[in-house]
Amino acid sequence: MTTRTEEWHADPALLSRYLAGALDAVTGSSVEQHVNRCATCRNAVGSLLEPRLVERTWAGIREAVERPSLPSVLRLARRCGLPEPTAVLLAGAASLRGAWLVGAFLSLSFATMAAYASGGTALAPFLLVAPLAPVLGVGAAYGPRQDPLEALIATAPYGRTKLILLRTIAVLVSVLPGTALLGLAIPGPPWLAAAWLGPALALVPMLLALAGFVGPRAAAAAVSLAWSGVVLGSTRALAPTWPVEAAQQGVYLGLAVAACAVIAIRAGADRQPGVAL
Amino acid sequence: MSAGASTVELTGVGKRYGRMRALDDVDLAFDRGVTGLLGPNGAGKTTLLRIVATSIGADSGEVRLLGRDPSRSHADVTAVRRELGYLPQELGYPSDMTAFGFIEYVAVLKEWNDREARSQEVRRVLDAVGLADQATVRVSRLSGGQRRRVGLAQALLGDPRLVVLDEPTTGLDPAQRADLRRTLSALGHRSTVLLSTHQTEDVAALCERVVVLAGGTVRFDGAVADLVATAVGQVWLADEPGDDALVSWRTGTGRHHVVGGRPPVGADPAEPTLEDAYLLMLGPDAHRVHTPS
Repeated sequence: MTTRTEEWHADPALLSRYLAGALDAVTGSSVEQHVNRCATCRNAVGSLLEPRLVERTWAGIREAVERPSLPSVLRLARRCGLPEPTAVLLAGAASLRGAWLVGAFLSLSFATMAAYASGGTALAPFLLVAPLAPVLGVGAAYGPRQDPLEALIATAPYGRTKLILLRTIAVLVSVLPGTALLGLAIPGPPWLAAAWLGPALALVPMLLALAGFVGPRAAAAAVSLAWSGVVLGSTRALAPTWPVEAAQQGVYLGLAVAACAVIAIRAGADRQPGVAL
Repeated sequence: MSAGASTVELTGVGKRYGRMRALDDVDLAFDRGVTGLLGPNGAGKTTLLRIVATSIGADSGEVRLLGRDPSRSHADVTAVRRELGYLPQELGYPSDMTAFGFIEYVAVLKEWNDREARSQEVRRVLDAVGLADQATVRVSRLSGGQRRRVGLAQALLGDPRLVVLDEPTTGLDPAQRADLRRTLSALGHRSTVLLSTHQTEDVAALCERVVVLAGGTVRFDGAVADLVATAVGQVWLADEPGDDALVSWRTGTGRHHVVGGRPPVGADPAEPTLEDAYLLMLGPDAHRVHTPS
């Protein structure tokens, strides 16, 4: 039986009809079974196929197998109109992975619960964590080491400065909604839900300006320590909302402007690879 | 690009790191073809390549790449970078990226925005370095030589006119080095390729031209055959190591390969190799690259 199967080969007309899908179900599946086992008929099928179609199909298969899938946050962002090349770049930023975002959200949730449980007398945990979430996110966007691809990023036409700003915006966009929602749950005046934004938006440019001198890790540590000092210091004798009151917000604005100025001056002073950031 | 101008033109280029002078008044021009940079550690090879790759600026002198001054404006440096492929000496790889993912990431940085064209190009360069079947493997799981080839593949993206490779053969076994030579010699027909290496045999096999750097200055610049010719009459096979030889070592035949100095008694003149010529060119610095056993 086996011998007879090996001797028999499907004729070109039969194979053409098989490829065109013109055979009935029984004949079609028996031709398919045969082609699977018979190298001669597989070759014959190959020669009957249009090479471009085969190439396109093969490229499609390789594409599906080889192209790494985007993290779920970025797949969602793609649906909202994020350009595909930008999504590929952001996928390389460690802080946009699900694990990091879940971690940030959890620590914020605990801080919110602590503030809630105290009935508004202990806002410090929330005020401490909320502005630091984007700061640590931007610092972490570089991955485990400073940036293993530093030398390549610096010499690529896309530009290092643009890439860092892109990561920064992405981190802000991904942590803002959750933090704002949790802020609403904080007991106290309603403006508290948004008040943490002031220091957050000052700390991020400060981090970037500092990172240009000491690297993102040391800069994130310095900025976090400074903010922790402000919040913890205020718990001794000042009102719980002191770190985010109007006068202090003015100071944060001033610091943000100063940090942006440092970045701009450095970018202008050295035209070599975006060394400002 | 003005007529007659070279792809890379360095005039009186100097660079310092604090008190250390990495490059001193270097004049060099490069065109299509493969040029090898040889020199001991600290000779200034990496500094020179980083300047040509627009990674750092020169402190003094004039740098012109593809007819442009990269320090003049953002537009100029970006235009140069669009035609540049660069393999840095030390390249970290994000541990969770696959070979395909890593090269695709660099491709986006190089403005390959069309997804289909980008995928094709990524596959083309992976094929070119013989890693087509490793595309889905995480870079952290690849061997050192394979990782170096992933690094090389990204430098080939878009068939750049200027290719700068800092020690591309590090970590490669002999078969991989032979593959690399094939890839690079094909590239040299179309592009200006600059590579640094410690391996004189790579230069001999690959490069039409060789530049020897030492102490931040150019000691030799010319055809590989011309460098070899400088050693004629200064290399011997002898029964003795030679008293005042620059370097000498005992070969597998039991005789000593003697480079420089006076010929020992009973010495037979030997055909010099590129390594002999290189060691002689370095003079006393030779002991830093070759310690005879």
